This record gives sequence, structure tokens and C-alpha cells, in this order.
Amino acid sequence: MNKPSFEQFLKESLEQTKEVSPKRDLWPGIERALVSHNEHAKKVSYWPKLTGVAACMVAGLLAWQVVIKQPQQNTMVDISAFFEQQKQSLLVQYEAQPALTSDWQAQLKELESAEQAVKSALQNDPENAALLKMLAQVYQQQLDLINKVHEPRWQQI
Amino acid sequence: MLIDANQALSHKVHKPKPIDELVLQVQQGSQRAFEQLYKKYEKRVYGLCLRLLASPEYAEDVTQEVFVQLWHKISQFQGQSQFSTWLHSVTSNIAISYLRKHKNWLQKVVSIEGCGMDEQASSMCEGLNGLDKLIVRLPERARLVFVLHAVEGYRHEEIANMLGMAVGSSKSQYHRARQLLQEWYDNE
Repeated sequence: MNKPSFEQFLKESLEQTKEVSPKRDLWPGIERALVSHNEHAKKVSYWPKLTGVAACMVAGLLAWQVVIKQPQQNTMVDISAFFEQQKQSLLVQYEAQPALTSDWQAQLKELESAEQAVKSALQNDPENAALLKMLAQVYQQQLDLINKVHEPRWQQI
Repeated sequence: MLIDANQALSHKVHKPKPIDELVLQVQQGSQRAFEQLYKKYEKRVYGLCLRLLASPEYAEDVTQEVFVQLWHKISQFQGQSQFSTWLHSVTSNIAISYLRKHKNWLQKVVSIEGCGMDEQASSMCEGLNGLDKLIVRLPERARLVFVLHAVEGYRHEEIANMLGMAVGSSKSQYHRARQLLQEWYDNE
């Protein structure tokens, strides 16, 4: 039997099927790689979402603190609450006790007007230190006035 | 009536899905369609890898790598060429890249060319036809150029670009491969 020429051999061989079967089944390895990649991708895509949600929650909490809660807890409100409590306690304490002067309530009204004026100014500039100091002084003057007109030592003189 | 009955029957017979539809399903994320695509092209991809890499172990690794990358890159296939042409191009590039990565330190330092299989190993290699058994014995550069040009139909300009060599080098490697193949064939 004559051996075909190299050219003939080459031509015929190149026309033959180019398929070759691997010795082992390669699909399980491919499938594992796809599954592990998908799981990795899920984990990777899960964290940005979680971080985003956490960031939104923190931002929301901060906004709530600043916009909703903060005005109730600002310095002016704190000062007002503290002095109002003190003032009401004194007024209750001295309720049955006669005052030394009859015009002390008019003086108190003036101080309360001053208090309202300072509070109005603080609405525009809530953390203004000078205004807050002024408000505290006005409150203190109110307390001093109430105390002075009701103190026993003044009544004994 | 008989024709209608035959037509109805033929619809019930399981027919392999046309490739375009399979590719579309894979692009939409169907792993089942991807497995069918794998079964259809596995032997062609492995055959190409084996000819390029001249190692059944490397060819198995690269075949798996090709299909893993295919799963992720299939969205890039826009249907401008035959799917098989595109897949062979992806396979060739991955195999060439694999060879570059797996050069040992001596080959990298002194630019020694990788050799092919020895005669005994190639004759033991299952599934290869007569020419394939000779191809896998070729030195690396001659083998790559011969497979890409003669088997896969790439032009020398394309091969030069893929392998990072001059067009003239691609042509000379091709002639070198042919001479070696003829010499071995004549001596068989």
C-alpha cells in the first residue's frame, strides 16, 4: 500500500474532525468554579448593600438628632427648663408668705419681658454665648427678686 | 392529515437547540444552557488546547479555564461572527496566556523555547489523529504558529499580533513546522 504524499496527508488530516475527548470529565470542576464565583459575587455584592443601609441608618439617626431632637435639647431650652423649675419651686415655697414689697410682681413681669426678648433673639442664633449668658442672668435676677422679697431676714428688719 | 400528525410528532421529539438560542439563554444566566453549550464545544476546545499546549494536563486545565471565563465573558459576544469562531479565539488567547505564565524561570531568563512532546508520549496520546500526533511534537513557537495558521485559519498578521512576534517570524516558524512535520512523516 502506497503511503500518501505529505501534502495529501496534510490536506486530509486538516479536513478531519478537530474534536478530541479529554480523559476525565471536566464539567464538575467548571461547575464548582462557577458556583464558588457566584457565592463570592453574592458576598461581595451583599456588603455594599449592607454598608449602604447602615450608612442610611446612621445618616437618619444624625438627622433625627439634629433636626428633631436637638432643638429640644439646645442650651436655651435647658436653661429655661432649669430656671423655670427653680422659679416655680420658689413661688410655691413662698406662696403663703407675704412679700416685703407690693410691686415685686411688676418687677418680675419686667424681667420676664426681658427674658422673652432674649429668647426671641436666641431663636435666630440658638448657640449665641452672649445671649445665653444674658438669659441666665435674667433668670437669676428673677430668682433673686423672688428670694429677696420673701426672705425672713428682710421681714425681720 | 398525515403530514399534520407527523409535524405534531416531530415537535415532541427532543431536538438539539440551535446554537444562537443556547448562547442567548446562557447570556441570560441559564447554567443549564451553559452545560449544553459545554457539551457541544468541549471536545473542540480541548482538541485546540491539546494541539497548542502539547500536554493533556495543561489542555484539561485550560479547557476548564476557557469555560469558566466563557461564562463570565459571554455577554461580550455580540453575534458579529460565528460563535465557534469567537470561542476558538477566546480559547487560543487563554492557551497562549497560559503558556506564557507557565514558562519556567530558565525559559524566561534565556528565552529558551518550550519543546513539544517526545515521540513516545505523542504516540500514547489518545484521540489524536496522525497529524495531531506530529503537531504535539513540534517546538512551542512552530507549533503555535502551525496550529493557528493551518488548523485554525488565522492570517500571519493576526498570529504575529497574538504571539507578539514579527509577521516574518510567524511565516518562518510556519515553514519550520512544515519541514519538521514532513521530515517526521517521511520517516514514519
